[in-house]
Amino acid sequence: MALIHVPNPPKNAYDPDRPMGSLLKSQVEHMREAESKLPLRYRQQIEIYIKAVRTEGEAARYIQAVTRAIHLAHEDAERERLAPKPAAKPVIEIAAVADEAAERKQNRGRKRPTSKSKKGTGAKRRKK
Amino acid sequence: MPTGLDKLQHIVVLMMENRSFDHMLGSLKAVNPKIDGYVDGDPFTNPDANNNPVKPQPSAKFQGQLQPDPDHHFPAVDLQIFGKGSDPHSNDRKPNMQGFVASYFNQQRNLAHSQMIMYYFPKENLPVLTTLALEFAVFNRWFASIPGPTICNRAFAHYGTSFGRVDLNPIYPPETIKSVYSRLINSDPKRTSKVYYYDTTSSTMEVANLLQNQPELFGTYKQFLEDCDNGDLPDYSFIEPNYSDHQGDSGALIANDQHPDHNVRAGEKFIAEVYQAIKNTPQLWESTALLITYDEHGGIFDHVPPPSCVADKFKADGNATEVGVDFHFDRLGVRVPTILVSPWIPANTVDNRVFDHASIPATITKFFLGDYSADRSPREMNADIFIEPQGPAVDPARNLLSLDVMRTDCPDFDV
Repeated sequence: MALIHVPNPPKNAYDPDRPMGSLLKSQVEHMREAESKLPLRYRQQIEIYIKAVRTEGEAARYIQAVTRAIHLAHEDAERERLAPKPAAKPVIEIAAVADEAAERKQNRGRKRPTSKSKKGTGAKRRKK
Repeated sequence: MPTGLDKLQHIVVLMMENRSFDHMLGSLKAVNPKIDGYVDGDPFTNPDANNNPVKPQPSAKFQGQLQPDPDHHFPAVDLQIFGKGSDPHSNDRKPNMQGFVASYFNQQRNLAHSQMIMYYFPKENLPVLTTLALEFAVFNRWFASIPGPTICNRAFAHYGTSFGRVDLNPIYPPETIKSVYSRLINSDPKRTSKVYYYDTTSSTMEVANLLQNQPELFGTYKQFLEDCDNGDLPDYSFIEPNYSDHQGDSGALIANDQHPDHNVRAGEKFIAEVYQAIKNTPQLWESTALLITYDEHGGIFDHVPPPSCVADKFKADGNATEVGVDFHFDRLGVRVPTILVSPWIPANTVDNRVFDHASIPATITKFFLGDYSADRSPREMNADIFIEPQGPAVDPARNLLSLDVMRTDCPDFDV
């Protein structure tokens, strides 16, 4: 069978200033709903006031901004999901901490050593 | 003897926008009388505002004719299907397809302009769509799922129901009925599926899935072309056209969805590109079926009355339908052009069974998942399937991919 020629649309068919039709309007509204479900940090990047969207080109810019934000939000969530989790404290360390606490209790009232005490053990300093 | 059906591994659905069967493919009746279109001399007309009959004319233009966008919301489609003076409260009214001109007249009160709704394309003006229809299988009775607009009709292609919606409002489905994509990617063994939208600027009309299933489910048209080239096409792909004129990465992009008043030639080119992307990869071409369909008729004339169907479990009340009467989803929308492409389909195949977009998830689910037991809508459960499941029990009379030797005479387009 011979190759079938497919004519191109004329260049003047392109008109991003064409007023958006009811379908694009509804797509913009759907995207607005989708935008409202995004966390604030993604919504802040969109910066388009949809009430001012009138033309196909303007609608397209808004739709692109929300679609990209949705992609980004999912990608970030996926990255977080796959990131290596901090290892849980081994039991032995917890036991050591418990031992330290017992030791501190025993040492209470004794003279403090001259070196700085360890931070981050959870022990509260007694108020003077 | 094994047929092409045994080779099938991928199904691709391309859903265009807002054109009726007679408007796009009606002229083919002159070439193949089995195709239920329109030829000059057929008795079908519509009355204009003065009650004069208006005949269909082969005068459709690619752009600039259907302005304003013909009304295709529920009340307008009700008028188009049942004609002027029909009472939606009446239980015994019959669809007569007599209200297209009256409906378009309502938008501008312009007699001459209202007649343009009866225009159709001559065959030679749509070389891609008409060639594919004649070379592969064309469906004489594929209807929109609802006598209404885009979003609710597209929902039927994704979920097998619109969850009671007859309008353009966002659809947030209940958890129980999964989209066909979710069914596939969550199956065991896992199946693959993607919605390819044109680009992030055109994006998708399926926002609910976009929110829930990113990034696994969505890809761009560029990625579709790459997936075809690399032999990485998923089991099931759904392609969305470009819905707007906009600046893309490669410059100005013309909307190619064919929605009035977007340029129809841009859509022809897009359809040809999708077809060639599959055809140009030999292992894909022999293992893929491509369904090309339109979401709804866009208010444009068609002569075949939509049939009634089994009611859905959802209903739209009288306020939602805007005609004061509940709609139980027990009647189909207006007929749309639909073509099934595969090198295993004989040329000039014409299928007369009744389908609607609920047939898409019904077919995909049956073909890839077999007896799927989870919740589905009554509409989908009762929808006919257009590709039979593989296996020894295939009914040859229902198998469209019936050839046992792959065709080598399929057309090519210069895109």
